[in-house]
Amino acid sequence: MLSCREVAARASALIDGELGLAQRLRMRLHLAMCRGCARFVAQLRLATALIALAGGEEPGQDPSRLAAILDRLGHPEGGDGT
Amino acid sequence: MSPAEEAALVRRLAAGDGEAFALVWRRHNAAMVRVATGILGNRASAEEVAQDSWIAVMRAIGDFRGDCSLAGWIFTILVNTARNRAAREGRMVSFEETDGPDGLADAFDGRGRWRRMPALWEELTPERIVAGRSVLAHVEAAIAALPPGQRAVIVLRAQVGLEAREVCEILGISEGNMRVMLHRARLAVRAALERIA
Ligand SMILES: [Zn+2]
Repeated sequence: MLSCREVAARASALIDGELGLAQRLRMRLHLAMCRGCARFVAQLRLATALIALAGGEEPGQDPSRLAAILDRLGHPEGGDGT
Repeated sequence: MSPAEEAALVRRLAAGDGEAFALVWRRHNAAMVRVATGILGNRASAEEVAQDSWIAVMRAIGDFRGDCSLAGWIFTILVNTARNRAAREGRMVSFEETDGPDGLADAFDGRGRWRRMPALWEELTPERIVAGRSVLAHVEAAIAALPPGQRAVIVLRAQVGLEAREVCEILGISEGNMRVMLHRARLAVRAALERIA
């Protein structure tokens, strides 16, 4: 049987659906019997979902920055530091 | 976005359609600034790099052939621009993950069992997460504290949603390395959540 340490190391692969059938079954078997690992995988799933959610937030979207780019594109001769 | 929709968007960009540009800018600019901040170490330089990258994107959009996704192409330009600037500033940036402890180093006993049982996060309900900004703010702070490679992987793969292959090409890392970084970044976010759960 996998140790808890091994389960934790493979938790992301399980979440991302990257484990083969045999590995997946070994993980499921451990998770069915070990509350600690079941909780850990649930925690990592939540962390994964929140990471994606955090990316949906768009802080610092200052419209003046968009205007500045359009300005530079409209005047190719001036203000281009590249 | 379907390939046909993306091709249409690219045509509008190439034609200088300001609305199309604003759409793409709103979709990607914040993520570009986040990736560049990880590479350059400061937000002000990152904002400039993002802006320079947009100029480069619009000047080269006529050459975009759809060999990769539009987002993948834009982030390739962003990462190269940020790396060049970092090099000019004498900053060495490596995306490769080194073999270090992964945040769970002390979590297990000699037989690989949990020393301390992971908690049931009863307080971290969807309601609480949606209601206040505080949980997501913790997540964002944890991501901001990651090493540049992990941060770039998180933004490109988990937030922008690029294909794994594209992320590896852009950052010049192996797929195995990318998976390690993704896992470690999640562990770091989990640890941050543990402190507020
Ligand atoms: Zn276990």
